[in-house]
Amino acid sequence: MSLLAALWAVIARQTASLNAARALTDLRAERAGLEGRRDELERRIRTAGSRAVLLPRAEKLGLRLPADTEIILVPAPPPPLN
Amino acid sequence: MAKPIVRLSFVQAGVLGALALLVLRAGQVQIVEGRRHAAEAAAQRTEHVVLEARRGTLSDRHGTALALTQETYHVGIAPNELRDPRTDAAVIARRLRLAPRDLDRALRRRYAWFSGPYTALDVEPLRSVRGVHLEPVLRRFYPSAQFARAVIGRVGDDGLGASGLERLLDSLLAGTPGSAVVLKDRAGREYESPARVIAQPIPGHDIVLTLDAELQEIAQRALDDALERMDAEGGDVVMLDPVTGEVLAVASRHRDGSARPSAFTETFEPGSLAKIFAAAALLEHGRVKATERVSGEGGTYRMRGRPTPLTDEHPLPSLTLADAIRVSSNIALAKFAARLEPSEQYETLRAFGVGTPTGIEFPAEAQGKLRLPSEWTGPSSTSLAIGYELSVTPVQLAAAYGAIANDGVLLQPTLIREIRDPSGAVRYRHRPEPVRRAVTSDVAARLRDLLRGVVEAGGTGERAALANFQLAAKTGTARRVVDGRYAPGQYTASFAALFPADDPQLVVVMKIDNPQKGSYFAAQTAAPVTRSMLEQALAARTVALDRARLSNVAPTAERAPLEEPDGLVPYVMSVPPPPASDSDRVQPKRAVPDVTGRPLREAALTLHRRGFRVVVKGWGVVHHSWPAAGADAKAGTTVTLFAEPRH
Repeated sequence: MSLLAALWAVIARQTASLNAARALTDLRAERAGLEGRRDELERRIRTAGSRAVLLPRAEKLGLRLPADTEIILVPAPPPPLN
Repeated sequence: MAKPIVRLSFVQAGVLGALALLVLRAGQVQIVEGRRHAAEAAAQRTEHVVLEARRGTLSDRHGTALALTQETYHVGIAPNELRDPRTDAAVIARRLRLAPRDLDRALRRRYAWFSGPYTALDVEPLRSVRGVHLEPVLRRFYPSAQFARAVIGRVGDDGLGASGLERLLDSLLAGTPGSAVVLKDRAGREYESPARVIAQPIPGHDIVLTLDAELQEIAQRALDDALERMDAEGGDVVMLDPVTGEVLAVASRHRDGSARPSAFTETFEPGSLAKIFAAAALLEHGRVKATERVSGEGGTYRMRGRPTPLTDEHPLPSLTLADAIRVSSNIALAKFAARLEPSEQYETLRAFGVGTPTGIEFPAEAQGKLRLPSEWTGPSSTSLAIGYELSVTPVQLAAAYGAIANDGVLLQPTLIREIRDPSGAVRYRHRPEPVRRAVTSDVAARLRDLLRGVVEAGGTGERAALANFQLAAKTGTARRVVDGRYAPGQYTASFAALFPADDPQLVVVMKIDNPQKGSYFAAQTAAPVTRSMLEQALAARTVALDRARLSNVAPTAERAPLEEPDGLVPYVMSVPPPPASDSDRVQPKRAVPDVTGRPLREAALTLHRRGFRVVVKGWGVVHHSWPAAGADAKAGTTVTLFAEPRH
């Protein structure tokens, strides 16, 4: 009787660990998939936001890069004196 | 015939003997050879596997990933395990981007293997297909393949860094592989069972580079455009922060398409860019006064011991040292440099780092050439003063000009800003590393003044001038050496600029090899391209420029006299805006200044100094304002500026 109980315990433990391993593998795969998707999206964002893509489109719309005279840097106020 | 008892005894002895042999054999197998058999059994049903360590990420100074490691997959297919071979094959062919015919051919084998590697997105739908076996493998991924490619380098098929920073930093990036034991069946297939991890893999360190992704893109694009427009053989751009020595952008391009990191590894004769070092030696040793003049010799001057005469393109009757730098006069510089002892000239060049590697973290950095004075010939002193008989890399030049910007202290340039361990803890953070003081702070300031003149009207760098910010710069056009000889009709056009001239934040060095279309002079080639890069950097939001410091630098346009503020309210806006108070309500009224026809920045500055808030409509120069010029308004009133393009 005790032998059967021991066998049952061993089998139950192995089954649980197999299930956990399977869940872990699935999670790892899911994480890898999400990371891959994130990297791909980042790559597409980077490409879409690059000057090589944006500048020709902006020029088509009649936009251009500003000359330095058209860039206004308003002086920052001096830090308050304590 | 023997008696039964005797026969029985024989049988008993036989059985006992057999039992004894069995016991002995069991003892031999289990005790004497037990360990060997246990090891064989373990080897048959288990396997040691290496757990790959994730390679560290390389990112730019703002955290944009430039090189990272992704999990990808090799795909194995057991055709006999497929449930619906026709449907499954169609899915597999689509996801692995295989021609159906090729896949059919592969599936006729017992086991088809596709090394790919395929991304997690590619294989996602294949996970549920029975008979498809995925083997994960880590792969290096470069989100922008052409981004600083020569600097970042690549990883080889063996997973080790093969070139560039990937190679140099391999020991930091690689991490430590782990190991595990997995169970397998008689045929060698792994059981689906939890692996017994012996050692966890330790990921590599993440490294934050000093590069600025946006500046890098500006530099690469400007260089590409310039090379195409000028039909040049190649070129380099280096941008450096002179206060920290951090390299912000480095681009190298070659017409043959090779990704050689020539900014680090290939030297050239800098020509007139080196004149500033001769000026540094003259000033450091007090060999020239600001008002002293030498004759321009009508543009042609024959020096003793020099086979060919020195010439100037646009000769002046007489020149001071400032004139000599401004118009890049070979004759005047040669005459001034004749006052220097060879050792003085050599030591100054050496102090600026000529002829020694900068120490930047890059494999195979070239050290350039600067011969000892004992090896000089008669004309060497003159040649060195005008940038010949020595060679430098663009990075060395940027570091040397950085010393002029940094009050005379030469810093070691760097590409590495931060190193973080796998837990995210910072293990190294770059701090400026002074190499030596090249010149005194006073001499450095005077050198910057000399360079400022180059960009003013009549200077060779006039075309690099910005309207609102002062530059200090130098042009250089030098004959080009090909296979150890001066190639006829070939030149290297180069330009070095400190931006802005006061309190510089950026050193830009641009070199263009053998421009063939249009002019080959740096004044017409590298100078305007540098101006364009600086304008783009100013317009970009994320570029590593300190705009607060820039806004406080006196702009060129403001050198013209402006109306003085009345001194009551220097600035209306503070950040964050303070809550309204009683004092706001008792602000005296004042006249709105007339800023018609002024550039927007100048107009905004004038209004701010008068204590008004500003809203801008349109661009160009101010056409009119509301409230109109001369109208009385309280401090803090919003004045709208209506601007129109300059005609």
